[in-house]
Amino acid sequence: MKKSIKSVVVLVCICAVTALLLAVTNSITSPIIAENDNAAANAALLEVMPNGKDFEKLDLEGQTLPATVTEAYREAGGGYVFRLLTAGYGSDFAIMCGVNADGTVSGALCLSSTETLGYEKTFGENFVGKNAEDVDSVDTVSGATKTTAAYRAAVKDALNAAVILGGGSVDIRTEEEILADNLAAALPAGEGSFEKLFLTEVHDGVDAVYKALNGKGYVCVVGEAFIGTDTEGKPTAALPEGVTADVTALIGRIQSSSLEAMDLAEFEGVHKNVTSASQTASGNYVLEVNGAGYGIAGGNEYHPASGKYIVIRVSMTADGKIIDCLTVSQAESQGFGDACATEDFYGQFVGKTEADYKEIDAISGATLTTDGYTKAIERAFAAVKIFEGGAK
Amino acid sequence: MKNNGNMSVLLKGILKENPVLVLVLGTCPTLATTTNLVGAFGMGIAALAVLLCSNVLISLLRRVIPDSVRIPCYIVIIAGFVTVVEMIVKAFFPALYEMLGVYLALITVNCIILGRAEMFAGKNSVGKSALDGIGMGLGFTLALCAMAFVREVFGNATFAGIAIPFLEPYKIAFLVKAPGGMLVYGLLIALVFAVTHGKAPLKTEFSCAGCPSAGSCHTGACHGKGGEQ
Repeated sequence: MKKSIKSVVVLVCICAVTALLLAVTNSITSPIIAENDNAAANAALLEVMPNGKDFEKLDLEGQTLPATVTEAYREAGGGYVFRLLTAGYGSDFAIMCGVNADGTVSGALCLSSTETLGYEKTFGENFVGKNAEDVDSVDTVSGATKTTAAYRAAVKDALNAAVILGGGSVDIRTEEEILADNLAAALPAGEGSFEKLFLTEVHDGVDAVYKALNGKGYVCVVGEAFIGTDTEGKPTAALPEGVTADVTALIGRIQSSSLEAMDLAEFEGVHKNVTSASQTASGNYVLEVNGAGYGIAGGNEYHPASGKYIVIRVSMTADGKIIDCLTVSQAESQGFGDACATEDFYGQFVGKTEADYKEIDAISGATLTTDGYTKAIERAFAAVKIFEGGAK
Repeated sequence: MKNNGNMSVLLKGILKENPVLVLVLGTCPTLATTTNLVGAFGMGIAALAVLLCSNVLISLLRRVIPDSVRIPCYIVIIAGFVTVVEMIVKAFFPALYEMLGVYLALITVNCIILGRAEMFAGKNSVGKSALDGIGMGLGFTLALCAMAFVREVFGNATFAGIAIPFLEPYKIAFLVKAPGGMLVYGLLIALVFAVTHGKAPLKTEFSCAGCPSAGSCHTGACHGKGGEQ
């Protein structure tokens, strides 16, 4: 019995002394270990801000920063380092971007990505020394436009975030948000939900018409001005100076417009890719045309069963002037051809005639898509000619 | 053996009773940490430090620790020292810590350390135990370095991380892999066996007589020598 008690006492004592020894060692080494760990974590920060020191991670809770900013560090000299997550061509990629106290980029580095071309790995070097004004002078890389444009946008976000964290204010709204804000301001009765109308009536001087989804009126866009109107097209406020467009008349035309479907079988010579046509009471035509782009092998072929057409809706006057143009659907390759579904591209056709419709900016890296698109417009022009000829 | 001079206690660990190459203890870290010289040297020195400290302490406590709980006591002491060494390496040599990884913590269960505690420190004076710890630690370090030298120089064409350009086209990448390590290990054991004419491990405390169970062993293999200890 005595022997077993001794065993227990000795073992307990040894354990206690060992624990004490470990506690003492830990109290000496743990601050040094913490510092080492910190230095390792800061290595990435130092890479984009070589002169930075004493980085402090910021709590972003409650801050209104650009959506790409995921982490922010303040540096002793007044600079910031941001970790940004942005979407490139095929994947998300993370960027570390340092912003000096004077608002210039101290360095940008892509942390990880699975982009196919790899431009993002070295693209950051181009931004060193740039500030909010001249960051746009960094050109995107042709063939890797999505990746490099996303990179540039992320660097811009970092510059904006630095201004915001420094107590300043920057407009960080996206284009969509700016548009939504402008529409809501022009017609508060619309309660913020609007849809863009596909115009079938001549709208000289008015760039676009939005209809309030709750039916309380319209907003006409004339240049920079957003003009709210009631349901009958009367402006809700005095027209801004210099705006001469008759919005009331345009809304009137839109409301009285009615589409009558046409039977394409009655017309000989209309290309098979023109799938439907309608005529308005005012004599304008609305056509849907299939464009054979990159997704259709052979370019101009007619593939009745293929779902890979670019479906285009175009409205034009009887004498062949495009009133409005829209890409209904497309199955072009991501990153290149799918740019044909952006308003930046198809908006170029508005106001064009058969004489000048080819004078548009092609989509970089997507020649087949652009060609297929213009070919479809050409068929629309030809179809309208036939309709007009048939009417006579 | 008890008449052996202090010098021979110190030196026997280096070749005659080299823990790795003759006693074949601690093979796990020997194979795992000998792909580069810096890691092998760091591992050897860390093990030496633990061995020296645990040998001294266990020798000091050899009359206090009851026989029935000696293994848990040894393990607690060894684990304590290993943790101390681990914390120190992590704080002051972070690069080495990265290199050794889990093998640093595994010194706790390194057979050499528990083996020396059991075979030597638990039965000998503090001074001799310290010398034994240093000798065995040096033997371990030297064996590791010898293996790492062969594997790093011929397998990776570098010496302690410095590139050797003229060996670059002839490097044998196989040596850096685990089977290559086994091969080098075997060849080194053969070399030591040849140098010592195979007599090294005989009639030492590593033989049957050194077995802690020799006293109660009824197989007859010990020829009653267990009692002499």
